Amino acid sequence: MSTPGEDGLRTEGLTKSYGGVRAVDDASVTFQHGRINALIGPNGSGKTTFFNCVTGMVKPDAGTVTYHGRDITGRGAHKIAHAGIGRSFQLCRVFPRLTAVENLLVAVRPGSVLRALAPARRKADVERAMELLTRVGIEHLADVEARDLSYGQQKLLELAGVLMADPETILLDEPAGGVNPALIERIGTLVRELNAEGRTFLIVEHNMDVVMSLSDHVVVFDRGRPIAEGPPDTVRADPLVLAAYLGG
Amino acid sequence: MRSASEKVVKSVGLIVLVAFVVVFPGIASDPFVLSVGVVIISYAVLATAWNFVGGFTGYISLGHAAYSGLGGYATGLLILRAEVNPWVALLLGGVVVAVLAVPVGIAALRVRGASFVIVSIALVLVLLLVFQSWESVTGGSDGLRVPRPFGPEVLRPEQHQRFFYLHAALLAVMLLCWWAIDRSRFGMGLKGIREDEDKARSLGVPTVRYKLAAFVVSAFFTALGGGLYALWFGFLDPIFQFSILVGSNMVLMSLLGGVRSLFGPLVGAVVVGYATEFFKAQYGDTQMHLVAMGVLLAAVVLFLPDGIIPAVRGLVARLRPKQASIREVTQEELAEEVRR
Repeated sequence: MSTPGEDGLRTEGLTKSYGGVRAVDDASVTFQHGRINALIGPNGSGKTTFFNCVTGMVKPDAGTVTYHGRDITGRGAHKIAHAGIGRSFQLCRVFPRLTAVENLLVAVRPGSVLRALAPARRKADVERAMELLTRVGIEHLADVEARDLSYGQQKLLELAGVLMADPETILLDEPAGGVNPALIERIGTLVRELNAEGRTFLIVEHNMDVVMSLSDHVVVFDRGRPIAEGPPDTVRADPLVLAAYLGG
Repeated sequence: MRSASEKVVKSVGLIVLVAFVVVFPGIASDPFVLSVGVVIISYAVLATAWNFVGGFTGYISLGHAAYSGLGGYATGLLILRAEVNPWVALLLGGVVVAVLAVPVGIAALRVRGASFVIVSIALVLVLLLVFQSWESVTGGSDGLRVPRPFGPEVLRPEQHQRFFYLHAALLAVMLLCWWAIDRSRFGMGLKGIREDEDKARSLGVPTVRYKLAAFVVSAFFTALGGGLYALWFGFLDPIFQFSILVGSNMVLMSLLGGVRSLFGPLVGAVVVGYATEFFKAQYGDTQMHLVAMGVLLAAVVLFLPDGIIPAVRGLVARLRPKQASIREVTQEELAEEVRR
């Protein structure tokens, strides 16, 4: 693990257009290591596209992404995952016809061609998967297919899956979206614990209560680029931010 | 977790299957029945080979006849033009096709869903034209006569018998490979690709490499199936070798049996193969046999959308004593959450 406070994830002039729309427009942001960072902004301000560029799901048109000083721009998504960046998806994505424990086993990295042919249900891997399912509180559903889980349980499963790959930095796309208050609380507690263990977070979220209570640092996006950043309280009072949200 | 009773059922089923395959050539009443057996097991080989890519990754290739056809022609041409031993030719044919499958796979696997289906068909149509036109090498539309690997002293019924067992051996090897991949980390990655490819990528699965590996393995086995068929049948005609119908039969059989099950394609091949022959024998003098076939397929799609094996498994599970349902657990958990 790297030292807290140093620059972890960093983008420089990141740009991505779809047709005539610049979804991400010349965005330069730095996320310090060890923090819970929040990324907020009105709908369509480019937060998810920014996520997708950073995690290699789409190739940016211009600009660079660096992680601990290493250029990872345009690398394959699996390579970025190997570099230690994990992510969840907006609206939650799990492997519907795999069981909960299998959902986690997909994230086991074989390491070599020969080891890829080793059984997936190796004892050590299954134990680690069960530990993580226990941690998010759905270990009793280990052998249930993901499609049969409730939405909240799927969200927890997705988080456990991300953790299975043991990422140092975790990008969460709307972790509190569509779940009940009790579960929001649970996810929030998990994020804080994981952060205390040294994991950095970057969270896209619309629920302002969650953002304000959880994050150390807030970056506000509007029209594809950051317009303000700072501690939650400062950002909340920023006139530029208010204007962006109120459509000024 | 697997229950003990399920294991017993599986073991018994496997023993019955193997026993049937071993004794079938002995109890087949005449050479015709035996030859139908070879056709069906040949289809089982092709469908199982198809399922290495279809079942694991969810990429539906309608053009797998390209690889069976190429395997057949490669085997035949190596024997005829290079005077290679037929069995060596068969294996070499498989290797040649596997190597060819690498660039094809790299190009084709870039697109998903319906686009992939179209791309897979395109290759068969290209190969059909090439093998029909390139007469000096392939024999063109007149076809290619492939010499039999066994001497003239081996009579036709015994030919059928030997080829039935050869197909069975190949099928056994493939099933073993499929089973090994199914339980491996590689297999888990492939299933992740089938379920949600982008999600799998984000978790670190090298999807391009995994898909390509499954594709090449599938093409290799499909080519061996095509080559073995060529040695048995002794004649290749491009219009039958590079036919969309052959490829769609592989898909149909696999879907019918269940693409997520080891024995799904085999079961599908037996059902479709047997039904085809049965309907032909009953209504063969008119086109009614096609109608009957269509009705059967429609019924399966309507009532067993996941395939025969999952449907049977579901039925068995329903008849078993009830365990706690998921819903009950969920409510308990909800209550707990409220209490907190």
